[in-house]
Amino acid sequence: MDLSGLKDKLSYVRKVNGNIAIGALTTPEDLAETFLHKDKKYLGFYDIYKKFASPILKPLATIGGNIGVAVSASDYLTFLLTLNAKVKLVSVEGERLVSLEELVVEKRTLAKDPNELIYEIIFPELPENYSTAFMKIDRREVIITGYITTAVCLKIEDNKIADVRIAFDRVNKRIPGRAKKTEEFLKGKEFSVDTIREAYNKVFPAEIVRKSDFRASGEYRLDLSKVLMKRTLLQAKSRIVEGV
Amino acid sequence: MSTEEYPEIEITLNVNGKDYTVKVKPYERLLDVLRYKLGLTSVKEGCGRGECGTCAVIMDGKLVASCLVLAVQARGKKILTLEGLTPPGKLHAIQKALLDTYAMQCGFCFPGVIMAMKSLLDRNPDPTEDEIREALSGNLCRCGSYLRFIKAAKLAAEYIRKGQVYFEFKG
Repeated sequence: MDLSGLKDKLSYVRKVNGNIAIGALTTPEDLAETFLHKDKKYLGFYDIYKKFASPILKPLATIGGNIGVAVSASDYLTFLLTLNAKVKLVSVEGERLVSLEELVVEKRTLAKDPNELIYEIIFPELPENYSTAFMKIDRREVIITGYITTAVCLKIEDNKIADVRIAFDRVNKRIPGRAKKTEEFLKGKEFSVDTIREAYNKVFPAEIVRKSDFRASGEYRLDLSKVLMKRTLLQAKSRIVEGV
Repeated sequence: MSTEEYPEIEITLNVNGKDYTVKVKPYERLLDVLRYKLGLTSVKEGCGRGECGTCAVIMDGKLVASCLVLAVQARGKKILTLEGLTPPGKLHAIQKALLDTYAMQCGFCFPGVIMAMKSLLDRNPDPTEDEIREALSGNLCRCGSYLRFIKAAKLAAEYIRKGQVYFEFKG
């Protein structure tokens, strides 16, 4: 179904009652024009943009479509999980709000009726001392699905991890998911490379399943996952503390 | 209903400054309409899934893959293909620069590469090498002329900054 006729109505980024709402037909290029690419709290959006497909696709792809395809390469989906995003679904029978985690149940499978449209994505505004980061590793910089993708949302208070959410392209299903046991382990601890190392060596391997395929081995993917977890957390911390 | 039974829709496209009224199926791609209905054969199909950049055109000032745009989505938009880049008998600075740097090999990717360079130079008259690499990152060249594309983009930018946008085509 072609929804491009609704482009004017469904392409926006708005602040509404402490939340941020993004219209389903907003493209990466549209997002690049908004505060989401400038405010240090939301720079995860900028990170995705830099590695998203190629310049030729950025004016065409939509954030609703990225969620709708529901695959591990849906970078916005991975990132939005760390923002506790919800999705507004609209049909002739009305509208409902469903959490992104509940909406995406398996690869290419959404818990929605066929007549429901993805209308907008909503997530709470981040308070101060929060920031985000996203990283993707592959052989090239663009037109890549990524051997691994990682997104984090971090809050630092007095050098302690006051809140943390970490998502990967896959955790234990074939869709993006959160590493919640690792998050719980990190919360309240001093922010340091040693703490992160302890988390990814002791807790993380027990909750993530990394499989081998023709592109990379599971062992390599697990190793990369640990590396990217550390790098994204350090990046987010740097954005909170130093503003870059 | 099979796809053949879908009714055709009459649409008007503004291509290279001229309005064309064509009948299209709702599922027809802009690529097919430009190439097969309007005869603009610079628009080529490579991968058909937005990865190679061979079908790139500029739509309302933005570089897009015409294989991923439905013709009906292009209604009311201004589309520029390679055919509309210069007045008849002229070479654009980008084309001149590509010739000057001997970047031409098989040429299949050229229309897309030229449109990508045009899109870049329209918004950035003096791009850095990184910016050129990023702007051309959606265009694949199986002959491997990438490094010459970078030289050509810099040269074209220089020509345009000097006001030399069009050159005589000497054949």
